Amino acid sequence: MKNIRLENIKKSFSGEVILENINLTIPGGKIFALLGPSGSGKTTILRLIAGFETADEGRIYLGDEDITDTPVNQRHVNTVFQNYALFPHLNVFENIAFSQRIKKVPEEIVQQKVNKVIKTVHLEKHINKSIGQLSGGQQQRVAIARAIINEPEVLLLDEPLAALDLKLRERMLLELIDLQSTLKTTFVYVTHDQFEALTVADTMAIMNPDGQIEQIGTPKEIYEFPASSFVAQFVGSSNIFNGTLRIKDDQQYLEIEGVGACQILAPKGKEWIYDGAQVFMSVRPEKIDISKELLPGFSNHVQGTVASIVYHGRSTQYNVRLSNNKIVQVFEQNEEHFPKEVIDYDDVVYLMWQKENVVILEK
Amino acid sequence: MKKINANFRSEFPFFMALPAVAWQFFFCYVPVVCLILLSFLRSGNTAFDTQAVTLENYTYFFSPLFALVIGRSLLLAFCTAFFCLLFAYPVSYCLAIKIRRFKNIFLFFLILPFWTSFMVQAYAWFFVLEHNGLINTILLNLGVISAPLHLLNTTLSIYIVMVYCYLPFMIMPLYTALEKIDRRFFEAAADLGATQWQTFTKLTIPLSMPGIKTGFFLVFVPAFGEFVIPTLLGGGKKLFVGSLISQYFFVARNPNIGSAFTVITCIVLLMAVGLLYWFFNRKTVLTLTQED
Amino acid sequence: MIRSKNTLRYFLPVLAVAAYLFLYIPIIILIIFSFNKSDLPLVWEGFSWQWYIALWNSPDMWHALKNSLIVALCSVALSIVLGLFFVFYGSRNFLGKLLVMFYASLAMPEIVLAVGLLSLFSFFSVPLSLTTLIAGHTLIGLGYVVPILHSRFQELDKRYMEASLDLGATETQTLGLVIIPLMLQSLLAAALLVFVLSFDDFLISFFCSGGSTQTLPIYIFVMIRSGATPMINALSTILLVVSSLLVLIFSSLKIKKMDFLQ
Repeated sequence: MKNIRLENIKKSFSGEVILENINLTIPGGKIFALLGPSGSGKTTILRLIAGFETADEGRIYLGDEDITDTPVNQRHVNTVFQNYALFPHLNVFENIAFSQRIKKVPEEIVQQKVNKVIKTVHLEKHINKSIGQLSGGQQQRVAIARAIINEPEVLLLDEPLAALDLKLRERMLLELIDLQSTLKTTFVYVTHDQFEALTVADTMAIMNPDGQIEQIGTPKEIYEFPASSFVAQFVGSSNIFNGTLRIKDDQQYLEIEGVGACQILAPKGKEWIYDGAQVFMSVRPEKIDISKELLPGFSNHVQGTVASIVYHGRSTQYNVRLSNNKIVQVFEQNEEHFPKEVIDYDDVVYLMWQKENVVILEK
Repeated sequence: MKKINANFRSEFPFFMALPAVAWQFFFCYVPVVCLILLSFLRSGNTAFDTQAVTLENYTYFFSPLFALVIGRSLLLAFCTAFFCLLFAYPVSYCLAIKIRRFKNIFLFFLILPFWTSFMVQAYAWFFVLEHNGLINTILLNLGVISAPLHLLNTTLSIYIVMVYCYLPFMIMPLYTALEKIDRRFFEAAADLGATQWQTFTKLTIPLSMPGIKTGFFLVFVPAFGEFVIPTLLGGGKKLFVGSLISQYFFVARNPNIGSAFTVITCIVLLMAVGLLYWFFNRKTVLTLTQED
Repeated sequence: MIRSKNTLRYFLPVLAVAAYLFLYIPIIILIIFSFNKSDLPLVWEGFSWQWYIALWNSPDMWHALKNSLIVALCSVALSIVLGLFFVFYGSRNFLGKLLVMFYASLAMPEIVLAVGLLSLFSFFSVPLSLTTLIAGHTLIGLGYVVPILHSRFQELDKRYMEASLDLGATETQTLGLVIIPLMLQSLLAAALLVFVLSFDDFLISFFCSGGSTQTLPIYIFVMIRSGATPMINALSTILLVVSSLLVLIFSSLKIKKMDFLQ
């Protein structure tokens, strides 16, 4: 399966630069997610790959083939649009068959292909309905079917689940993963929803609001080892602390106001790691333990007062105020109906975490 | 292979879109240029000849006769637009704001005259205005008059039929503008204590201004150059811009003077429209604005 | 206060009804007298179809009708095709920005256009014929077609075109398979409008027609000038009926024609 390569892509609209110096290699045969807030340029990258936009500078490659100048209708790339863009004047069958009709494929083969594809998206019963008679989820599947009947090298999905409700979205995500493993087509999935991205991606890239790629990696890499404070706070939540690095012989710790000295494991080989450097420390809320007693075995701890409690069903979020007024978020899973320890408002608590579960980030 | 397709893709649309532009250019803009060129040629020349360039066609018009004709047409256009507005407003208002059921049927019958030829409409009025036409028959039978009124072939008949024919042109933009007014404005006005009349003058009229302006120009501009109605109803005695132009081209067979006259009337029309436009837009912004 | 409220309340509907009467009474009389037995207008002498029969037997009428139909149908075809191509293909390149050009023909009084066309044809020594008439009528048609189709095209979701291209269709295939079906209502409404405008058109036909290219409106005009007979009533009635049917079709297409006029 071919990979996609963007080299030195620059794109601006009406004088405003959206993307600059974008270099990206999307591995073939897998699901690649492009995650970022609105306006980060992720949809623009998708449209560049599809051919709806032309880059000001740079080249785009599909495998070894330079497709930068290839017109839209000749690229072996198909798109699933955000609002599906199903042709209202054609029924389900004709929508899916559209690309085949264009190529003047003989009728029997068209029937064959459409029936096969429609089974893949589980819409056999709706094959002759008009678009208006379908629900959102069904329309989305037609859109997918319409795109994959072409057997493209790459399937581009532009926030395909945005219009669906939560339960349907969860189900569709799993179906998409299933679909990709059957087809082995390269999927490029654009979304602003990190849950979708983390669930569906084999590899993903995070874009920031300035149109730059902050980090590329597997979902786990990105979540556990964010490369910057933006990534740490955009993907999942994170508590970010300002600190001064202290390195003495083989001892490393971070001086954090309101917390004290924290044991850490500083990354090696970075030029911004030196004694006295100002750095960020990121600790995920679920990696912090909370208790009214100081429990043994943790490298770091700090005391604070519970400012607010938010019940999330499967977890409870505690917002704890430290002595310097900083609020720290803590997630505790609600493992028991009747927990042994009940933490309430204004309780004085200990927050504890291991030095291995901390990420040091450049300021 | 790719190179050819890329070029093919960019040239193809150009040539497909071009014919319409070319058509518009040759049959709308070039004729205007031809008109202007003709007007500068001595009488009798229909082909461009540098020897025949002259301004004499224009000097012809420094006489009160032509000012009279142009003035008459301006007055006609203005009055037609004005009376159309007067007559169209109540109907449009009722239809847009008061009527709820059968709106489409009423609208259908209101638009229908727009689709009829002016000729048919003008001819229909013969039966109303003639010596033994509708008006005279009714008035005679009622004893209001003792001898039939001479209504046809008068300036009055021209004005009546002009308003008649151009009424739909005023009704349509008015109706559209009135229809767009949010009903809740009326509720708000009533809630704040406005009387019907106040609501009408301070709310309805300003909010329907865009429709009024559009309708006014939609009537004024064509009415200025109207040929059919003054010719059929006026008895040919009084000349208007349209009939005079036609005279020059067909009776006198002098396209040079004819085009000069046409150019002059166009300039006058432009000035009149400019004046009207300035007049309509000089008032300060309304308290409740609506986009033009 | 109450009194003025009442007057206003009844005043308006009365005016509205008066407007309808004003619009229709002349027409109704026209229609009635088309069935008049005598040839004296306004003197009713009984019901008769004679004028309709006379009309049927008039070769001039048929000739004029044929001309009108040819010109109207050609003008419709030309203006729709040209207009559609301009709106669609013009959106892909700079030519589309020339949209403003098309408003000029409606902005001037038709007589200026008519006279201009006449000058154009005499300048280039083009003999007047049905073809020159079609040229003029198509011009008028374009002035209506382009704004109508342009506004409808702008309303269309851009994604349909993108989806079609994405699935492998060329621009022309997209036009035929996707865009035209989605714009069908507007296309039909515009076609109808141009047909009626061309059919009813007098000025351009009058100025740009030769002797043998008489259209129906000119035929009527000449008849009126040379001495009215109820045959004109009959012809007018037929035209009214046909117009009404066309408006009915047009209305049922649910196009907000008046919006475009704004």
